[in-house]
Amino acid sequence: MNKLHFKVGLFTAASLLLAAIFIVYLLHARGFFEKTFHLQLAAASADGVAPGVPVVFSGIEIGRVTTLGLNDSGGIIIRAEFLGRNAKWLRENSTFTLDKPFVGGAKIRVESPDLDAPALPDNATMLLLTSDISKEIPALVERVKAILANVEHLTRKDGEINATLANVKTVTGRMTGEYGVLEGVLGSPEKARAVTDSLEKTRALITKLDGLALKMDGMAAKTDQWLFAQDGMAEQTKASLAQVRLMLDDAQSSLKKADALMSNAVDISANVKEGTQDIAALRAEIDDAVRKANALVNEINKKWPFARDPEVKLP
Amino acid sequence: MNFLAASIESLGAKVVGWFTVGYGMFAFLARAGLLLLDRTTWNRATFDVVVKQVYFTAVQILHVFMGYTLVISWLIITIILSTARDFGLTEFASEMTIRVLVLELLPFLTALFIALRSGSAINTEVALMKVNSELDALAHCKVPPMQFEFLPRLIGGVISVITLAGLAGLLALLMGYLSIYGVSAAGFEPYTRTIAKIFDFTIMAGLIVKCALFGLAVTLIPVTAGLETPKKLFMVPVSVLRGMMRVFFAIVAIEVVSLALKYI
Repeated sequence: MNKLHFKVGLFTAASLLLAAIFIVYLLHARGFFEKTFHLQLAAASADGVAPGVPVVFSGIEIGRVTTLGLNDSGGIIIRAEFLGRNAKWLRENSTFTLDKPFVGGAKIRVESPDLDAPALPDNATMLLLTSDISKEIPALVERVKAILANVEHLTRKDGEINATLANVKTVTGRMTGEYGVLEGVLGSPEKARAVTDSLEKTRALITKLDGLALKMDGMAAKTDQWLFAQDGMAEQTKASLAQVRLMLDDAQSSLKKADALMSNAVDISANVKEGTQDIAALRAEIDDAVRKANALVNEINKKWPFARDPEVKLP
Repeated sequence: MNFLAASIESLGAKVVGWFTVGYGMFAFLARAGLLLLDRTTWNRATFDVVVKQVYFTAVQILHVFMGYTLVISWLIITIILSTARDFGLTEFASEMTIRVLVLELLPFLTALFIALRSGSAINTEVALMKVNSELDALAHCKVPPMQFEFLPRLIGGVISVITLAGLAGLLALLMGYLSIYGVSAAGFEPYTRTIAKIFDFTIMAGLIVKCALFGLAVTLIPVTAGLETPKKLFMVPVSVLRGMMRVFFAIVAIEVVSLALKYI
């Protein structure tokens, strides 16, 4: 066996095998064993489109533009080719947009919102939309200018924002003081101290009131005992009031007598002017006395609900 | 006046010299090509010399060459990847790697490798044969040197450069895949897509033609340079020097023309 020939044979066989594998792989990669899927795109303008422009789906190239030309009515027809395995991304509701970024070449972007929609048939014609960023720039610049002018106005030296920021600075500066947020809100440490002081006092007051309430409870119990016990204050008062009523009834009857007397006296001395004058004064005095007595009775009855008819009526 | 005439004369002599060399080279190539069409060329003896030539040019240096390819590929892939990452162009890294290595750099380096190793050897051998009148002796014995000495060298050179550049390219593709995606099948789809994008028919044909031209350049030029040697022993180194310079210029010219055709 010729060793040299064997080595060369081995080398050649291995090289040929590798070359064959690579060629088969390359043919597979380029879709030689697959059906090619064709698509026609109708566009208003072929600006930026050339054979070789990639068609991308989700950022991955799935096909390329092969030719472009005019149809009979002057419209632009762009033909693109896809590998059979990539045709599944093209659906009837797919949209085709021509992207022309600032950096990098133009590309046709495919968007298929619903992958369950019916597949596009071979040689279908779709509409190509254009999203030309460079056309939107002037409008964008105008808007940015307006925004910048506003910002400039807001941030001018004596502007509102500066004043607000100064205020905020003062407030936050106070907030770092002894009394914190309270000082920031009230404006000075003295005022804040007053608030805290009153809070302290209120607390002390509440403590005292608690004690007082306890004492009151005790007193109320004692008062109950004192008032309503057998031979207590209430019993005695009742008795004395009965006496008062008797006295008042007497007063009423004597007043009635005086009234009658006075009526007679008025009749008798109708012509005597001076006398009448005197009697009128007397009458006023008596009225006054009766009013006082009535007030007294009312006062008593308000406190002690025994009487039904407190009024002392004058004729 | 004399000076001007002298310089014009020397320029004319140089141009004539270039034309003579170029003409000699292409005439030699034409004779070799015609011989290739001749049925008598396809005999066992010629085939044996071709096999020997392939062995000495390609098989013998295969392990060294592959190791060298591995290191160079790994280095360049790493540089391209890290640079692409720095500039945020990672998506172009694999394409860049394949284009730089497989299409341009590795064929060029293969041609240089073979030119330095085999081309210089061929040049020296042919020059010595010429100086020692061995070629005349061979012709006298009815062993045409073209058929049994030169044509097999040309064929061997072309085969060697194409095969070695192809193997180096495949190794670089593998290295590129491993560098970008690591040992996993995850990147197979995108890598296949990139390869499909780059290697269309014209690129593949151009690559093979370029490698074949490299192979021819690294064998044909040394052979013709050797045949030009005057029959004086001290002219052998001069002949090798001239031959190697021409080989270098030829390789660079082929590379430049191929790049220009591809990208301009």
